[in-house]
Amino acid sequence: MKKVLMGNHAASWAAMLSRVKVISAYPITPQTHIVEELSEMCADGRLDAKFLKVESEHSAMAAVVAASSTGVRTFTASSANGLALMHEMLHWAAGARLPIVMVNVNRAMAPGWNIWSDQTDSLSQRDTGWIQIYVENNQEVLDTVIMGYRIAEQVKLPVMVCYDAFFLSHTYEPVDIPDQDLVDKFLPPYEPDIFLTPEDPRSFNALVMPDVYMEIRWKIQRAMDQVYDVAAATGREFEGIFGRSYDLIETVDCDDAETVLVTTSSTTSPARVIVREMREQGQKIGLLKIRHFRPFPSKQVADVLRGKKKAVVVDRNISFGKGGIWADEIRGACSIEDDMPQIYGYITGLGGRDITPELLREIVDDAQAKEKPDSLLYWKGLKP
Amino acid sequence: MAEHKPVVFEGEHDMPELVVSVSTMLWNKTGSWRYLKPRYVDHVPPCNQACPAGNDVEGFIRLIGEGKIDEAWRLLKEENPLPAVTGRVCFHPCEDACNRAYFDKATSIQALERYAADHVSPDLEMKPLRKASGKTVAIVGAGPAGLAAAYHLTRMGHKATIYDALPKAGGLLRVGIPAYRLPDDVLDAEVAAIEKMGVEINLNARVGKDVPFEKMKEYNAVFVATGVHANRALDIEGEDADGVIPGLELLTQVALTGKAKVGKKIAVIGGGNSAVDAARVSRRLGADVTIYYRRTEVEMPAFEEEVDDAKNEGVTIEMLTAPVKILVEGGKVTGVQMQKMELGEPDESGRRRPVPVEGSEFDVACDMVVPAIGEIGDLSFLPESVKLEWGKIKIDAFGLTEHPGVFAGGDIASAQQNVAQAIGDGKRGAIAIDRFLQGETMDEIGGNIIIGESGGVSAAQYMSGNAHAKNIACNHVVPFEEMNMWHFEQMERDAMPQVAMEQRMKSFDEINLGFTEEQAMHAAERCFHCGVCTMCDNCYMFCPDVSISHKTDGGYGYDINFDYCKGCGICVKECPRAAMEMEEE
Repeated sequence: MKKVLMGNHAASWAAMLSRVKVISAYPITPQTHIVEELSEMCADGRLDAKFLKVESEHSAMAAVVAASSTGVRTFTASSANGLALMHEMLHWAAGARLPIVMVNVNRAMAPGWNIWSDQTDSLSQRDTGWIQIYVENNQEVLDTVIMGYRIAEQVKLPVMVCYDAFFLSHTYEPVDIPDQDLVDKFLPPYEPDIFLTPEDPRSFNALVMPDVYMEIRWKIQRAMDQVYDVAAATGREFEGIFGRSYDLIETVDCDDAETVLVTTSSTTSPARVIVREMREQGQKIGLLKIRHFRPFPSKQVADVLRGKKKAVVVDRNISFGKGGIWADEIRGACSIEDDMPQIYGYITGLGGRDITPELLREIVDDAQAKEKPDSLLYWKGLKP
Repeated sequence: MAEHKPVVFEGEHDMPELVVSVSTMLWNKTGSWRYLKPRYVDHVPPCNQACPAGNDVEGFIRLIGEGKIDEAWRLLKEENPLPAVTGRVCFHPCEDACNRAYFDKATSIQALERYAADHVSPDLEMKPLRKASGKTVAIVGAGPAGLAAAYHLTRMGHKATIYDALPKAGGLLRVGIPAYRLPDDVLDAEVAAIEKMGVEINLNARVGKDVPFEKMKEYNAVFVATGVHANRALDIEGEDADGVIPGLELLTQVALTGKAKVGKKIAVIGGGNSAVDAARVSRRLGADVTIYYRRTEVEMPAFEEEVDDAKNEGVTIEMLTAPVKILVEGGKVTGVQMQKMELGEPDESGRRRPVPVEGSEFDVACDMVVPAIGEIGDLSFLPESVKLEWGKIKIDAFGLTEHPGVFAGGDIASAQQNVAQAIGDGKRGAIAIDRFLQGETMDEIGGNIIIGESGGVSAAQYMSGNAHAKNIACNHVVPFEEMNMWHFEQMERDAMPQVAMEQRMKSFDEINLGFTEEQAMHAAERCFHCGVCTMCDNCYMFCPDVSISHKTDGGYGYDINFDYCKGCGICVKECPRAAMEMEEE
């Protein structure tokens, strides 16, 4: 069934199709539609789930942590400062190895108050132990939430699906909504081997002494390492049932490219336009779209970039005192590889400023004009 | 329980994937951390305490909510023989006390009482609880106090005989309240049920005139409840003119005959229910009616909704106006000289005293004056041994007069003149008489049958055989502050369906039509059930130690597993209705 949905409702539909049992959330622009729609789905009986109203995002995450501990599928969503308020509980969710799936609508951090698109909110949750996936369009929102549960429940780690405020959250696109039967086939009921139950009372998440703590953390990293294969396999299986394929990265025309434009999220869409244009003009350019931020697909990225001349990374975020976060991740990934390209990092589009095809063309032209990078970051679209 | 010993991991391979104990924690009896423990204890809802008739308000509303109308009616009848009457004309102090009033609007208690009484199965009846005692009690007056006393005495196995001066039973319910508020057949039905139970009612039998008070000595006890039927005089010039008809006299005439001769333009003097009722009755008889009241609307003793209805029906109300003299020509009323008043310092009733404004006299033309400034009792038939106080019969807290064996209640003995108080007085008198007939006093049990800290008395508690212990739940009355409003949603109070205004003036048919089933269920749902466990499961849901469970036998209430209850008190805190409390170990 095809419907024209805003990105937020695509997320709501995905949660419903995933048969989540507990939803807890606190409203925040631009996320509100997601949970508003879910609350209606719960109220009118389309979704058999408990919807918990709470007084803050910290409580929302605490509630889904508790619910997930009892062995049921859970969902929440937030954005920007709301996500920041969840920070402690994000660590808790991952540390407790709970396969929670949440949506974060990427919105700029305040102050100054700004409700528009910017990835700094979720990227700054880098070390919480969450799998993070950045998606490009509304169809990918729906598909990734459903796949998110498959991945999360296999590796026992939470998944955060991130997409751009307004560019996706409030924009309507045709979305193919899969049949419930097919989703059920793809995503079996969640039946963890151990969960909180009065039948077999256990102590969960208690004190762990130094002689054990490190191994526990090592196991989380091991689970992250498993995601590369699990996510790729999940994407293939998803394609087998639904006909749409996903991997940790996606490439366009990279094989013979000399310059690779690297994008994430909805910025990838205008990038596709200019890469096609430049190809038509005879330029050897390719596009690398990175979906996973954690675990970072270092090897996959290095394999694409090996032998290229230049990688031009577009960052709608900033790590103050360093630069674009994706660019920095790529530099790190390349550091143990041979034959890596020059890496140009561009900061642009902060706080929802448009990243147009013309702007992207300017960025690529700028990088191509340079002999070698003389800075870790360049600003583009900044008013003089 | 298996003994627990330290777990030693050989390496990461035998460590669990997540931070969880490798075996059960049942050995860890966290109950040992506790120094306070929760318990379930029902408290008294404020409505129950506020009801002078001693109704279990919360209880009957719960039963209505469960669709158990017959059971709700039975519960009401345990305390009050006249629920169809009080469901219509009681001044519902229960609703004034309702905690919900602090949240949105009070629960529609009176309308629900009427709903139960109007929708009970027709063949249902109350029966005596004890076998015949052989004792007899004479009751003077067939008003609400006398009827209630007779009813409860009969339930206790005694033979009750009522004497009443009027040709119909009901007292002021019959002659003081117009049929559009309390239809005759409604009163008839509840009186008939009392008679069917075995109460003998002698009508047209005024004690002291038709029947000598001496005859009362043939009975083992006497209950005097003659009410107040004489009109208080205005004490002004012209009061004996043709065309001056006291309010209660007018109402009695209409109540007993269905008609009365009224003037074209009527001045009603007074601000109580009799004044308002007389005005509304006169409107229905075709008169142009103005009520003159010496204070302002705020001080009017009449029920607010009755005053509103009177205004809607075209009654004019002139405030701060008092009569100086009645203007008379040829022995007939032609008008009233009035005087404007202003409010001065508060008087002993707490209301501001009206003070005449110098030189403000003015005349109003009318052909009939209806004084209705209050009623007083006729005490002339009583022997001297029955002592009086403030114009009423002097009684103790349970209705005993200074004359042994003679008890009294209702308007003739109580400062509070209203139907619920009268019904409560009748019951209280019946209990005191029952004790008296057994050669006992109220001393030992009096305090144990009072509802809450200062409410009416509970016949159910008295008849339960446990009257020697205070076990009407607990005498603590739940104030609003103890309720947990997080667990309630605001809900509209249901409006009483009424006959359209244009229809009303054509007859004495009842105006209020009663709740529909849908309204009754909605209104019942609005009840907070203050202080009484409804098994809402909040404690069960909130207990962080899974120490609260449903009764294994499916019975009412919950079990607390004190092996693991840490005494955190969350269940008590999250109980929406203060039906739990913490106690020291």
